[in-house]
Order: sequence, then C-alpha cells, then structure tokens
Amino acid sequence: MERAKLRQGEQEDAAAAAAAAVAGGEQHSLNGHCEGGRSKVARCRESPGEASGSGARTPGQSGHSSSVMESWKEERTRSVEDNEMSLPSIAAAYTTILRGLGEDPQRQGLLKTPWRAATAMQFFTKGYQEKIIDVLNDAIFDEDHDEMVIVKDIDMFSMCEHHLVPIFGRVHIGYLPNKRVLGLSKLARIVEIYSRRLQVQERLTKQIAVAITEALQPAGVGVVIEATHMCMVMRGVQKMNSKTVTSTMLGVFREDPKTRDEFLTLIRS
Amino acid sequence: MEYQTKSSAEMNGMCNSKLVTEYLCHNGFSELSIESKKLPVQDQSESSRKKAEDESRLPALEAAYTTILRGLGENTERQGLLRTPLRAAKAMQFLTKGYHETIYDILNDAIFDEDHDEMVIVKDIDMFSLCEHHLVPFFGKVHIGYLPSKKVVGLSKLARIVEIYSRRLQVQERLTKQIAMAISEALQPAGVAVVIEAAHMCMVMRGVQKMNSRTVTSAMLGVFREDPKTREEFLSLVKTS
Repeated sequence: MERAKLRQGEQEDAAAAAAAAVAGGEQHSLNGHCEGGRSKVARCRESPGEASGSGARTPGQSGHSSSVMESWKEERTRSVEDNEMSLPSIAAAYTTILRGLGEDPQRQGLLKTPWRAATAMQFFTKGYQEKIIDVLNDAIFDEDHDEMVIVKDIDMFSMCEHHLVPIFGRVHIGYLPNKRVLGLSKLARIVEIYSRRLQVQERLTKQIAVAITEALQPAGVGVVIEATHMCMVMRGVQKMNSKTVTSTMLGVFREDPKTRDEFLTLIRS
Repeated sequence: MEYQTKSSAEMNGMCNSKLVTEYLCHNGFSELSIESKKLPVQDQSESSRKKAEDESRLPALEAAYTTILRGLGENTERQGLLRTPLRAAKAMQFLTKGYHETIYDILNDAIFDEDHDEMVIVKDIDMFSLCEHHLVPFFGKVHIGYLPSKKVVGLSKLARIVEIYSRRLQVQERLTKQIAMAISEALQPAGVAVVIEAAHMCMVMRGVQKMNSRTVTSAMLGVFREDPKTREEFLSLVKTS
C-alpha cells in the first residue's frame, strides 16, 4: 500500500518537476549551482507551507521540495575544463589570503601553496562535476529481494558552506528494495557526489535519500549521518567531542516504526 | 635579536644557533614584537592594535573568498553563501591567530622557582593547525615533558605555547621543534621532549585518502636526547593505554 503511494507521489513530483523545469528554463538549483536569477535552493530548507508554486507536493512527503527532485537528473554544472580555467583566479585569491593573514607568500613552504590550495579546494567540491545518472546508470539490477539492505560506516568528507572548513563523519544508508537493487558501491558513490560540495549536513542527508528514492523507487530509504564539524571543533565554541547526527527516513521507514527500529539497531551494532 | 643570540649560547649544545633563530622567527612572519619587552599597559594597546589590523585586512580576505567561491562554480548570492566570505575570512584569521601572540607575553608571570627535578608531563593536549601546503587542517594531540632545573612553568602555559605555535600555517616537524625550543628557552630545563600525533586532512580528505593514517613527530632536547632511559620513561608515560 505504502509502496504504491510512494511511487504515485514520486510520479506526481516528477511531473511537477518536469513542468517546473520547463517553466523555469535552465534553472537547476541544488546547492546554488543556478544558471540564473534567484536560487530555489532556499526553499529546500523552508517548511512545506511556505514555498508556493514550486510544484505539487503529496501529503506523504512533507518538506520535499521539487527543486531537490528535479536536480537529480541534471546535476553537473562544472567540467574539468572549467576547473582548469578557474584555477589561476582561485590561486590568486589564495595568494591574497596569505598576504592578508600576514604571511610571506614567497617563503619556501608557501611558494606553491596557492596552487595546491586551489587544486585541493576544487577536489573538495568535485561533486559539482558529477551526475548521479552517470554513476548509477548501469548498476540497477532486478532482483527478487525485498528485505532491508544496509551499507554502513561510509566515510564522508564535506565542506561547511558557512565557514569553508571540513566536515567529516560516517553515513549509514538502508533501503527496502522493490524488486530493484543497486550496486553497493553506488551508494558510496552517491555519498561522494553529494558530500564533495559546500554543504549543510541536513541538506546532504536529504539529497542522498532522495537520489536513492528516485533511482530505485524502493519501498523506503533511511539515511543517517553522524559527523564532526571542524567549524565547531577548531573555532567558535571549540567543543572537541561534539558530533552532529541527522537522518532522513522516506517511505516505509518513515511510516512504520518497526522498520525504522530495525534499521537503527542494525547500524548501531 | 640580542634576546635570541644570548639564549642560544646557553643552550648547552642542544642545537646550534642557526637553528634557534630559524625556528623562532615565526615561520617567516615578520613581526617585531618578540624583540621588544613590553609593559602590561602597552600590551593592551598592542592587542587592540592587532585586532584593528585584523579588521582592516578583512575586506581583502572577503573579496578573495568571494573569488574562490565563484571560481568553484558556486552561486555567491544564494542564501547559505551570502555571508560565507566574511565568516570564512574570520575563521581563517582565528585559525592563524598564533602569529599575533608571543611566548614572552604568556610566560612572563608563570615561571616559578621550585626545588623539583623530576619529570613533568602534560599530555593529550588537543592541537589544531593548518597545513601550510594545502591550507587544510591537521589536528591531533601533543604530549610535552620536561625535566626542570629549579624552574617550573604553570601547566596551562604549556598548552598555551602549543596554541601559539599551532594556530599558524605549519608543518608538523617545525611545530614540534618550535614548541620544544620555546620551553627550552624559557625555562632552561635539563631536557624537553615533545611528541605530536596528528591526522592530516590533506592526506585523509584528498590525495592518497588514507583515513586512518597518523603522523607522529617528536623533538628531544637535552637529557631526553642523551639519556635513553629518560626518554623511555617519558615515552612510556605518554603512551595511551
């Protein structure tokens, strides 16, 4: 029952997303990689009641903005050539930063630092270069399996979009397949694509869950992320041992407490 | 410079004077503050001057961060990124605040004459620094031990020394040595030992991507270098069980 509802909800959202995409021209707004105008990503984080005209929203999926959905198919907004072209300006910016901090960019240890730091930053945001659909396209298999599948302790490294400081932790993903299963490493690749960006942990969790939902139409998806934010550990409040835990439960994981319980118990052990 | 050469002569062969001046020159950061001896009143104006200096440099840092965000393909007008250049600039200034601080300021009052000549160890001091090659954090724990020679230092001052030298663009080897030198200079102890074990995000998050790798460096000066049994005692006491 719930599976049918989920699928129907997705179809509605997909239709709405397609309509919105057509209406909005080239706007793909996830993480702000937006070719024009006002970013729609703010609505990802607003409550469902506030965002108007963003597309149909089914009762079973509260807080599910269509801008999150439509971006699943069209993600890549940066290419390797873009990287090469923007490297000099990013490196120049880092030289300015070194000077602004009072360091001497000509000393031996810092001579090539602007280039290294620029390349490193491009690596930390390489999720913008990849599309989910490229990663997943081949690895969806029809299996007559309808028990929970969990991949846990996936190391995750991201960048805090507010301070440009690393976030790292672990991701646990579980889903209840509906005759279609995914190659296991593809779950880790989905995590990589979304985490190697300027992120907010809540959004990251949701994006991973939505991507799996869209790709497989499973009965349910659960994603739990437990991470340490260097912006809290190295600066600001400086709480060494604090961890932030976020989760997204979709489909039967949201509706059935026993399923959710089983998932949470299995990832804890 | 007189301050430095005088104390280097007292080192008793712990190192040659070239090393001393090299390691104490603030990573090439050319501030004159270590050479002038200041009164407390002047200290206040000094720190507020540096704060004002920090603030005056903020716009340039902000502009640089905005360029970086745009270069990465992000939309700097979206809600989450609107004030990010400012926050990132301030964060970076905080993470390099060690350049503004001098050992002399923090240690001046807290050196005491105690008739103590047994090992003193402060271990598991959390340390956060920035890799000077990639501008990415590295963090870990510092263990410090010294054998006093009638002069002991306030314990938190050891942690403050770590803070001063770690909140800079650093290389772990240099950081270890600077901490050891600073304690040597301030206390003239019989020996100093510093061990740092850190995880480098530049190795974990990028490049080779080895999650569990740790880098361990140590600096042994004085009797810790010459006497293996002293060194062994120190190392066994800092070993985490």
